[in-house]
Amino acid sequence: MTQFKFNGNWRKAIRVLPQAVIVYLLLAALVILMLGPYLYIFSSSFKETYTLISIPPQLIPEEFVWDNYSYILTELPFSLWFFNTILVALLVTVGTVLIDALAAYAFAKKQFWGRDFLFGLMLATIMIPGALLLIPAFLITNWLGLLNSYGGLIIPGLANVLGVFLLRQFMQTIPEELEHAARIDGCSDFGVFWRIILPLSAPALATLSIVVFTSQWNNLVWPLVVLNDKDLYTLPLGLALLRSEFQVNYGITSASAFLSVVPLVIVFLFLQRYFLEGLTVGAVKG
Amino acid sequence: MATTTATTRKSSLTETSFWQRAAVRRNLSAYAFILPFMALFVIFNIGPFFWALWLSLLRGDLVDQVKPFVGLQNYLSLTTDDITLKVFLNSLQYTVSVVPIAVITALALAFLIGNKLVRFKDFYRAVVFFPLLASAAATAQIWSYILAPRYGVLTYLTGLLGIPEIYWLSDPDWALYGILLIEWWRGIGFHIILFLAAMLGVPEELHEAARIDGANAWQVAIKVTIPLMRPVILFSVVMGTIWAFQLFDTVFVLTNGGPVHATATMVWYIYNHAFRYGQVGMAAAMGVVLLLIIMPISYVQMRVLGER
Repeated sequence: MTQFKFNGNWRKAIRVLPQAVIVYLLLAALVILMLGPYLYIFSSSFKETYTLISIPPQLIPEEFVWDNYSYILTELPFSLWFFNTILVALLVTVGTVLIDALAAYAFAKKQFWGRDFLFGLMLATIMIPGALLLIPAFLITNWLGLLNSYGGLIIPGLANVLGVFLLRQFMQTIPEELEHAARIDGCSDFGVFWRIILPLSAPALATLSIVVFTSQWNNLVWPLVVLNDKDLYTLPLGLALLRSEFQVNYGITSASAFLSVVPLVIVFLFLQRYFLEGLTVGAVKG
Repeated sequence: MATTTATTRKSSLTETSFWQRAAVRRNLSAYAFILPFMALFVIFNIGPFFWALWLSLLRGDLVDQVKPFVGLQNYLSLTTDDITLKVFLNSLQYTVSVVPIAVITALALAFLIGNKLVRFKDFYRAVVFFPLLASAAATAQIWSYILAPRYGVLTYLTGLLGIPEIYWLSDPDWALYGILLIEWWRGIGFHIILFLAAMLGVPEELHEAARIDGANAWQVAIKVTIPLMRPVILFSVVMGTIWAFQLFDTVFVLTNGGPVHATATMVWYIYNHAFRYGQVGMAAAMGVVLLLIIMPISYVQMRVLGER
């Protein structure tokens, strides 16, 4: 559908005017519906205990207080949770992208015995719901002595089947001639991967990074079963705990929910394109 | 690989054997490239899968060293237990509600944004993406305040319209729909963005042709645009269904399955029976049932992904 352009035809412009008004009113409602909840908890994070429960609700608090933020930063290990989330999400992202890229290169460019069988096996595991694997994955992590540690949070998430799938698709489009040229110039096998394939796959690597980073940042279930120590909690787990173990104080939950979203929103504003591309990939792991 | 053979054939004989030997060597190194991935994949995917199947035949606590073998007893218990029945019904009711609602509203909203009077479509695309950024836990916290009885914004607004107060998360008749409302908000952007991309990809000539044949906007949408979007709509339905059956995070944070199991889902059951109630076998059996539900649906997803 092309865009309507005003080309000096006033009669047509007047004819579409009522439709335009309706369309833009509906769009305004959509924007309020999608962004309103964020804005509302942002403003609520500055409310004091009494304005939080005032009727009618105050969209903008009459009095701004910083108490909620100072509470979560001093009374709760919020900054620790923040740090843990960044650390774990970054390490999982770097590790996954590297491990997936290595495997994807072999699957895209090499002929080896068992290749198609292994690839089919990997695709088949997409059908397995995560909840089924949760119990044995927990037992294996326990057996490896990784419960309640960064290692236990990071290592089990590193083999991402969909990442291999995505990167393989992309690497298959890289022309063979480039590899040959590099080999003639004396590049080793790993050199070809590192100097030719990886840089050329940058867009796919960026998309995968975004997908993995976002899903790690927001992951609740795995930290929930692996961690006991509150100092190791990640943000989603900390947020869940705010509700179950503390008396619900909406000022505190608003402030923490808002702070937990801000980093992703900032990344999104700069790298929107990769978020959009990653939508169908990340979709699959739910 | 086809290109490699083609190039080697073109080169001279001595070169051919050189390239072939080099190629064999390179192909053997493939195993080194896939090793880190395969090791982790086997330890944390393949191994756990078969272990989970085995666990569903055992009885015991998570950390018990010896779990007695009970055969299909766990599966039989699933069919007789009241809670499991409730859990199945909840998951089914939730899925058949949320998927059509999400897909139909997303289609309508995609048509709204795709309308040719709308400038700056990228802006609206970004706007509907925003809810996808927050974790389920954060979204749950945001909405628990909005849906709160008495002083919640939504409660207040519906009150202005004269709608009697709904206890979205504490009334057993409403709790599942409270969760649905939150999940709808959280996931709708996914469907809208997919639909919008498909819609804007429909060639303009087809619309023009239908218009010339005298079709109105509604008829063009129903007869031309939507049929052409069918693969994407199928993908949306499949993904929505897979997610709906695996609903957990929001329920865990907000209602923990209550009130009176009104929001107890299959994954909620698996988590609680394995990690809280010490019934690993029952949890694993429920996991296998979930697998049997998800598998045929996922098969469609795999086919769609494979076609890309």
